[in-house]
Amino acid sequence: MTATATSSLFDRYTPELHSFDEIFGAPGVPRDPFTALMAEVESAVGADFERLQRLADQVLLRAGVTFSVYADQRGTEKIFPFDLLPRVIDADDWDHLDRGLRQRVQALQCFLDDVYGDQRILAEGVIPKELVLGASQYTALVRGVRPPSGVRIHIGGIDMVRDGAGTWLVLEDNVRTPSGVSYVLENRLVTKRVFAAAFREAQVQRVDLYPSKLAESLRSVAPGDPAKAFVVVLTPGMYNSAYFEHSFLARTMGLPLTEPGDLYVDDDRVWLKTTAGPQQVDVIYRRIDDAYIDPAAFRADSLLGVRGLIGAWAKGNVTLANAPGNGVADDKAIYPYVPDMVRFYLSEEPILQQVPTWLCDREDDRRFVLEHLDEMVVKSVDEAGGYGMLMGPSASKTERAAFAERIKATPRKYIAQRRLELSTCPTWIPETQRFEPRRVDLRPYVLTGSEGPWVLPGGLTRVALPRGSYVVNSSQGGGSKDTWVLRR
Amino acid sequence: MISRVADHCFWLGRYLERTESTARMLFVTANLALDTELAPSDIWRPVIIVSGEEERFLERFDAEATGDGEAVQDYLTWDATCGASLLSSIDAARWNARAIREVISLEVWESVNELHLWLRTDAARTLWSEGRYDFYRHIKRQVQLVLGQVHGTMLHNHAMDFIWLGLLLERTGQTARTLDVHHHVLSQLEARSADLSVELVLLPSLLRACSALEPFMKSSGGVVRGPRVAEFLLLEREFPRSVRFCVRRALDCLSRIRPLAATKLPGGETLERMRALDAWLQDISAETISRDGFHDILTHVVDETACICTGLGHEVLGHGDAAQA
Repeated sequence: MTATATSSLFDRYTPELHSFDEIFGAPGVPRDPFTALMAEVESAVGADFERLQRLADQVLLRAGVTFSVYADQRGTEKIFPFDLLPRVIDADDWDHLDRGLRQRVQALQCFLDDVYGDQRILAEGVIPKELVLGASQYTALVRGVRPPSGVRIHIGGIDMVRDGAGTWLVLEDNVRTPSGVSYVLENRLVTKRVFAAAFREAQVQRVDLYPSKLAESLRSVAPGDPAKAFVVVLTPGMYNSAYFEHSFLARTMGLPLTEPGDLYVDDDRVWLKTTAGPQQVDVIYRRIDDAYIDPAAFRADSLLGVRGLIGAWAKGNVTLANAPGNGVADDKAIYPYVPDMVRFYLSEEPILQQVPTWLCDREDDRRFVLEHLDEMVVKSVDEAGGYGMLMGPSASKTERAAFAERIKATPRKYIAQRRLELSTCPTWIPETQRFEPRRVDLRPYVLTGSEGPWVLPGGLTRVALPRGSYVVNSSQGGGSKDTWVLRR
Repeated sequence: MISRVADHCFWLGRYLERTESTARMLFVTANLALDTELAPSDIWRPVIIVSGEEERFLERFDAEATGDGEAVQDYLTWDATCGASLLSSIDAARWNARAIREVISLEVWESVNELHLWLRTDAARTLWSEGRYDFYRHIKRQVQLVLGQVHGTMLHNHAMDFIWLGLLLERTGQTARTLDVHHHVLSQLEARSADLSVELVLLPSLLRACSALEPFMKSSGGVVRGPRVAEFLLLEREFPRSVRFCVRRALDCLSRIRPLAATKLPGGETLERMRALDAWLQDISAETISRDGFHDILTHVVDETACICTGLGHEVLGHGDAAQA
């Protein structure tokens, strides 16, 4: 490796002021744990990163690693923009995250059990009762139902960010049907090929065991004998934006991929229509939202669902992963209380910090938010994907005024946080033909079976590709990176 | 196996076969058109008829266009409104494959997806205008690659049986229609002009359209005669595109999916119907042919194949099901 090769790639790389860069501690100088790794990366890449990046895009397109955008014409597929240079997390940071994530998912799980059971936490006034029972995702219908094996959050995706000082913070919880793990696995196949030497050198933890871990964990929560459990994946169908992932998971777990029309309920049991007649289903990894899963229980106009499915689940005859009703735990207005849940249920201090949040439903908070709207990020409590939010600092005066009216009209629907200086990663920018800092977040995945929670050592790093952007969602111009978690 | 998944497998097989056979037919016909004394419409009209597109083609273009090789090829290659075009068939194959991505192998998926993506590139358009034969050849070979990968990389289970079942039933219909149409054209030409060396030009072309020239020559010792060619394409036990061969193999697939003894499984009526067609084909002899004529025999094959596909849809593949309606 020559000094010229080094200088050609990263010498002009300058992290943003006031932001934490994941890889570079100073312009052109990688952080300590990554020095050797970055040298290997550079020698693998040589001078022609653009060519490698294009090859990687080709690989993903050929393999059909695509997603559909709802607003687009029906059935249009795009590849999720992928930046070839991995994001790296050192072993100490990962230890902290691993412990913190397991603790957090456990607390959320206890909260759901409680809310759909005795409601102790409400009776003791730790969380305001109206806030929980008034949440759009609180599902009175499932109160009193204990799911088979007791698990409710079989798959959790907890979004993490780092502030200007590099402190890890929980940004939001996703305990309904978190997506994105297929990109983690597909991205890894590409980076492993391109950066083989660096990968070996760095001792990166593997992620390819996720499908077998998930299958094992789904089997472990079956109503009957796990060894004999019949597990299926349930997708809304080919036109869903995440269809690739549904198909990917079914394929890598070796499970049938079903659509609602393939299933029916008879005698409170779920049956799959096969060429050899009906076959009983024990566990359903469903990738359909609560609202659409059973027209008999929720939205009667849903054409997607399986009529009677919730009844079969309530009788304990089938496991649904994740359990219905989980949305109350990832409501953004309930998020500020998660540290209290940790203390209340586990009698421990929360390991992970989170972002200070104002609830517009509280009068004092609302006044503060409206007065400081130009510093705030305002989010709708039950929307995801970057929809229905206001980026105060970059919004126009008119946009802010219009949003203020929406907040006043339905305050319960909104929360606000100060805009964080999200951490950055060097990202290849084709227009300038060099690496520039772009902001990232991280979605780690937490699986819970009968043995308790397990965290995939890795996760989906999403990157805001447009210059100056703070929004990482794929629907808003976000891309992804592979996430390398280093072994100790 | 999930009925809907079986249905996608079945149609994947059908569209793959349709793609290959359309590509081959266009390839062979374009080649024939170069050096024959036949009128262009005698060459190209049968292609439109075999694809089942005559009516729609005549709605779109005038009758003269049936003699315009470029118009016919363009229609049967690029027209998205034409269900038999290469573009539509490849799209449909890919759409079915994508719906059962978890059932087929990675290799099969990538090859089907690559063909679909390639057809949309400038390179494909350039090859179409500058190297027509290579264009058809590429498509044919890509489909053959997929079929090899189905065989070599997938589990040999019912999913595969359904793919081959679809493919074989489609092929049965293709061979029967090709033979029927050409036989008709040939007999008309023979009546019209005695000195045209039909045997030497058209029959080899018909055989090529079914990928059967060399296999036929091997079995006939190089002698090409009309009735012998038709018999070969209808009855040859060793030729993988003969009607008799395809029906027998299709029956084998269906019998694995729905064994004769498994009377509790759905599919009994279709199995019976296919067994009857197979038995009937086994019994056909030169006398039957001279008594009934090729046309009636082939019409029976085409009709029965269509009924078998419909029956399969209702009994096994979940068509007309309340939940899917």
